[in-house]
Amino acid sequence: MQASRARLFKEYKEVQREKVADPDIQLVCDDSNIFKWTALIKGPSETPFEGGIFQLAFAVPEQYPLQPPQVRFLTKIFHPNVHFKTGEICLDILKNAWSPAWTLQSVCRAIIALMAHPEPDSPLNCDSGNLLRAGDIKGYHSMARMYTRLAAMPKKG
Amino acid sequence: MNYYARVKKVNTEITEQVSTKLTSKPSKVFIAKDPERERERHPIFPIRSQRPVQTTPFSPQAMQNQEGLQVQVDGEVESGPAPSEPLSSLAAEYQSGSAILLEKIKVLGEQYAAIRRTRGDGNCFFRSFMFSYLEHILESQDVSEVDRIKANVEQCRKTLQSLGYADFTFEDFFSLFLEQLDSVLQGNEESISHDELILRSRDQSVSDYVVMFFRFVTSGEIRKRSEFFEPFILGLTNATVEQFCKSSVEPMGEESDHVHITALSDALGVPIRVVYLDRSSCDSGGVSVNHHDFVPAGNDLPNASDSPEKVSPFITLLYRPGHYDILYPK
Repeated sequence: MQASRARLFKEYKEVQREKVADPDIQLVCDDSNIFKWTALIKGPSETPFEGGIFQLAFAVPEQYPLQPPQVRFLTKIFHPNVHFKTGEICLDILKNAWSPAWTLQSVCRAIIALMAHPEPDSPLNCDSGNLLRAGDIKGYHSMARMYTRLAAMPKKG
Repeated sequence: MNYYARVKKVNTEITEQVSTKLTSKPSKVFIAKDPERERERHPIFPIRSQRPVQTTPFSPQAMQNQEGLQVQVDGEVESGPAPSEPLSSLAAEYQSGSAILLEKIKVLGEQYAAIRRTRGDGNCFFRSFMFSYLEHILESQDVSEVDRIKANVEQCRKTLQSLGYADFTFEDFFSLFLEQLDSVLQGNEESISHDELILRSRDQSVSDYVVMFFRFVTSGEIRKRSEFFEPFILGLTNATVEQFCKSSVEPMGEESDHVHITALSDALGVPIRVVYLDRSSCDSGGVSVNHHDFVPAGNDLPNASDSPEKVSPFITLLYRPGHYDILYPK
């Protein structure tokens, strides 16, 4: 408990220093609870998520950093490896490939990379995975784009 | 509205939402329902479970699988080593098993007095190494060895830094190991006894942190000398050196292979002997037990054929397919 708190505090300071360095990620710690974080990540360019801003929720376990943080999308997203309803993310580093060498910041980077490189063979969103597996890139793009516009972009006017 | 203003706007919305514990319906961002309840319904993130406590008594019949050498996973919840046992307890495991194994255990008995079992959760090599090393220091009170390994640890720290690891990701693990080193040396306030060393090694928070220290050191060494390790890694998997470190060295519970042992031994400058107990045999009649000494690269003299004779490892591990335990010479 003490160890995880100390580690998170170091990450907090690091995030403050790195803020300018990575404009695609805004990682914010809950005011009253250092085990709760939220992040805003920019949808990667040349993907259907471009221009969108996606919100992630981090719940950090007491055994952190020996155990991975629990991360999910709060913003609705149409992506093969993200559960459409719960926002759960299927990413090896959040499960068995986790190691303390990862940080909350680098997890955000990994999620951005996953957005740009979906893995339709291990889908949490089968509809999305099936479109890609069937080679219907256009269908996937337009669905993903629609949800980006609906959920991840500010309404005009 | 430019990007930053937008982020700021969304961000303030989020802060409001978080502060109201996500109960209010946000107007502009889709939010999944009550996160806690959602998580209950979809147990998404596997919680690293503790191994279930085995209640059934050990039965030799259970060992009789095809290999004849399935290692019994001990039933302890503690992550550390069990009390040491005489080698005869090893023979009892294979009583009705392979004759070759029984013969080999008899041969082992000529040189080794006891075995200490470690938890079989994929970290057994590192846990065995940790206990064996600290126990050696505790018994020998070899201050110069402690100074030597500390210098190596500092070198490992520099290696990780030069590979681009952020200090805060590994420094806690380093300092916990250094703490253990100091505490096994007697004569200071933090000094501990042998019993306390056992207790501490069983304390999962200590043991796991030291294992993670070794994993960082191992990974750093492999990546630093990636040209040397690459062919060995290619022989094990299809992964690149970096992928291998990320997926098979750094994560807890990933089992150790020759590559890991070589790297750890080299990085810390500690020779390790591994005795192999398997069913292999030679036709020439007599049964012999193979062992391999991992001698740190730095110690290698130009005439490599002579050098292994000169180094006698003070750490001896018993390898049975899939598991490492500690062996005690007579």
